[in-house]
Amino acid sequence: MGSDLFSGLLAEELLLVLLLTLMLPEMLKVSPRIADALVKLVLFAACAILLRQYAQGYDVDLMPGEVRVDRFAVLAKLVLLGCALLLTLVSPVSATFKSGFLVCSSLLGALVMMDSAGFIPLFIGIEMLSLPAFALMLSGTGTTSASEGAFKYLVLSSIASALLLFGIAFAYGITGTLNIADFAQAVGAGSSPAVAAGILVASGFFLKAAVFPFHGWAPDAYSSARVQVTSFLASIVKGAVILALVRIFATVDLNSATFAIIAVLSLLSIYYGNIAAIRQRNFKRLLAYSSISHAGYMLVAFIDTTGGRVADLLWYVAIYAATVIVACASFAILCPGERDDVQATDGAFQSHPLAALVFGLAMLSLAGLPPLPGFFAKLFIFSSVIASQYLAAAIIAFVGSFIGVTYYLALFFRLFATDARSPLVDSKQSGTLVK
Amino acid sequence: MPESWAPSLLCLGLPLVGAIAISLLPDRMARSLSMLAMLAVLALSLQIFLAYDAATDPALFDFNLPWMPSLGINLHLGIDGFNIYLLLLSALLFPVVLACTWTSAESRRPLYLALMLILEASLLGTFLAQNLLLFFVFWEAVLIPMGVLILVFGGGQRRPAAMAFFLYTLAGSVLLLAAVIALGAECLRQTGSWSFELTILYGLRLDPSMQLLVFVAIMLACAVKCPLVPFHSWLPLAYNEAPPAASALMAGALSKMGAFGILKLALPFAPDVAPAAAPYMVWLAVASILYGAILALREENYKRLVAYSSLSHMGYIVLGLFSFQQTAIHGSMLQMLSHGVAVAGLFLLLGMLEQRCGSAYRQVTALAIAAPRLAVLLMLFVLTSVALPLTSGFTAEFLILLGAFTQGLAAWGAGSGAGLLIAALLASSGMILGAAYMLRFARAILFDSSDRAPAVRDLRLGEMTPFAAPLLLILWIGIAPGTIMSKAQGVASQLVQAAATVEPRPAAPAIASVWSGHGK
Repeated sequence: MGSDLFSGLLAEELLLVLLLTLMLPEMLKVSPRIADALVKLVLFAACAILLRQYAQGYDVDLMPGEVRVDRFAVLAKLVLLGCALLLTLVSPVSATFKSGFLVCSSLLGALVMMDSAGFIPLFIGIEMLSLPAFALMLSGTGTTSASEGAFKYLVLSSIASALLLFGIAFAYGITGTLNIADFAQAVGAGSSPAVAAGILVASGFFLKAAVFPFHGWAPDAYSSARVQVTSFLASIVKGAVILALVRIFATVDLNSATFAIIAVLSLLSIYYGNIAAIRQRNFKRLLAYSSISHAGYMLVAFIDTTGGRVADLLWYVAIYAATVIVACASFAILCPGERDDVQATDGAFQSHPLAALVFGLAMLSLAGLPPLPGFFAKLFIFSSVIASQYLAAAIIAFVGSFIGVTYYLALFFRLFATDARSPLVDSKQSGTLVK
Repeated sequence: MPESWAPSLLCLGLPLVGAIAISLLPDRMARSLSMLAMLAVLALSLQIFLAYDAATDPALFDFNLPWMPSLGINLHLGIDGFNIYLLLLSALLFPVVLACTWTSAESRRPLYLALMLILEASLLGTFLAQNLLLFFVFWEAVLIPMGVLILVFGGGQRRPAAMAFFLYTLAGSVLLLAAVIALGAECLRQTGSWSFELTILYGLRLDPSMQLLVFVAIMLACAVKCPLVPFHSWLPLAYNEAPPAASALMAGALSKMGAFGILKLALPFAPDVAPAAAPYMVWLAVASILYGAILALREENYKRLVAYSSLSHMGYIVLGLFSFQQTAIHGSMLQMLSHGVAVAGLFLLLGMLEQRCGSAYRQVTALAIAAPRLAVLLMLFVLTSVALPLTSGFTAEFLILLGAFTQGLAAWGAGSGAGLLIAALLASSGMILGAAYMLRFARAILFDSSDRAPAVRDLRLGEMTPFAAPLLLILWIGIAPGTIMSKAQGVASQLVQAAATVEPRPAAPAIASVWSGHGK
């Protein structure tokens, strides 16, 4: 048992050790490069450990009713850590001790959420996930708009925690335990207090994931942070929250009342996010609205009755998070500095072909165009939804995602824009006139 | 024979490899390298085309590799009677188009060449796919290279044109994705496992509401792609603003995706609904024929004129398909080939003219004096378009109208209304209108008063040779269609039989057999 506690949570322990060591060199004034290398190394090692656990089929109830490392936990942690590793590789998020430390502590919170089988570790995890994110948004910007965005995030995040706690209290009242599985079973059975508890818990998570009526903080928070922090928020923090929801409602079939709420909220999220994003001229705000619509796609997966949602959402979160990270990193190359007007990418294919191509493909992937990965992520979700006989919901969602294509495509086309003075048009015109 | 699947995979793989290679290798090698890749694909598809006939075992060219087994998605490419013509057409058009734009400024840019190669791969993928989801992936993937081609190399209004082309066509296939997944889910319900393999999906028994959904979804996607009236509003803008190579490919090959979708998906998946919906589709087709012809009659801009003529000719294909008659289906398939090469030739020649005169090409007249070789070529393609006997246009349109008349007469005789007969009559008047606008076009550009003849440099011999291939095909179909038709015989009779089991039809195969024996 003791060895299981050690080996089962090895990835978390590694991160904890990293956090402790990261404090040390900052005091000793060592080059921040070491921090960067350490973070990458530890994330890599943690991924390797998780891969090994996955290959072994590791599944242990470490503390019955509190902590459980099962197949889903291992996979979800692998997805989150893999995306974090990608993030540190492509963007300077761990370039200073401070931001490296904050990112890793937020990640630790995400991992704890994935392991939790009871509400107490889940709550601790979600707080550990959000509080460093709040500090991260402020670090290194030094502008007042950043503190405004961060403050909004803090306040709404506390409200989410309050809702979550209230829901947990309800759940405790109904089931008499703090066990997540008991709670999910009660919600599935559909007694009205259980549904109320379910709605409260879910609202807490919806706030953190920026689902439609709970989305107000996202555009300000995303646009005020630096672009690598925005990509962290939109990919890993959001992914962790959604995967925690999967952890709770793993394969519970929803009763009709909850089904209607989920279906309506997810579809509204898709439409609101996509329509609001069309008029955005600022890349980080656009990303915020796009992430609201993606929260909608992920939420749609919860209406399936085939049991496919766990696998579907793992894929979706992995692909979506990786795409957002790559998009933000390539955007940072196209527009260095803090400028994030989308006009800055006009004609970028001429000056930075590779970065522009990567950015463009990431946009088309977010739009869900085949043959890019984003299409398959959506395909998995909607094949479960349609197999559950919810064809109409799927068609409404497809129409919403078509609206989304318009602004992703506009971003993609911007990369190839050529104005009248560009050398290409000149040579073409002269070519035709000479001949 | 393990290597038998190689040709169909290579058709797809060679352009992709070429596209990657030219982005890595020095720019000056790019043009020759792309030409090499395209010619290799042409050689492969010619080999397949000549080796294939209706009796060939379809498994011979099958390439099947599991991709996502849990959802039944395979990388499955194969040759059958549906795609054998279109394989040849696409493989033929790409090298011809590249050769015709060989001296233009854009053909020195690796981006242009890479986009053409990716376009070729995704287009051939659409035609060869034997897995429904793979088909959908390629169907949508075609938009990306074509959209960028229009956007980067197009005319003055290229940005709205690219947007209109992309979003309009994408909107058409929103419902298609839902229908594709619903078919897979239906397969899960009936057989217990997901599959998107077409052979398995064809075997499902679909209830009428499901058939209706699938039929409407596919028809919507195809009607935008073809296009059919009233889904054509992207067409004049896109065809006019695209660079000549892209217009030629869009009108020549991409529009055939719509007809191919009807043939390969809409008819087999909706055996009850398709015959019931046929009268409406026939009227839509007739509306396209006449509307396109009337717009072309009034159009002053040459490119838009050809664009509208394309709308009109695509109407014939749809008319033939929904006549549910073997002769007409043969005609439609031949029309895909014939219209593909003819309209591509017209757009390419107009492009060459534009390259020589700039935007002043719209005022060019009396080309027959200034540039006789260009004029002769242009006239040959015009004659194909007006369906002069001994050209492919005549064979195809005659077969379509003959089939539609036979079917219309039979339906009238059986007392089920004269709708098809009237539709066929109206469609025939489209042929006369076609002759009128095409000859008006030819007169304006080729013959007008000679004193205003512009100084247009004529085609060199090297510039003429690429046109030999499409002209050869036009004459081949025009003179000896039987040798080609026999390759699609199995498919045509299969489609008619599938419809005949629903609604008894009179014996039409006799006429078809006369025709297929005609050239031998």
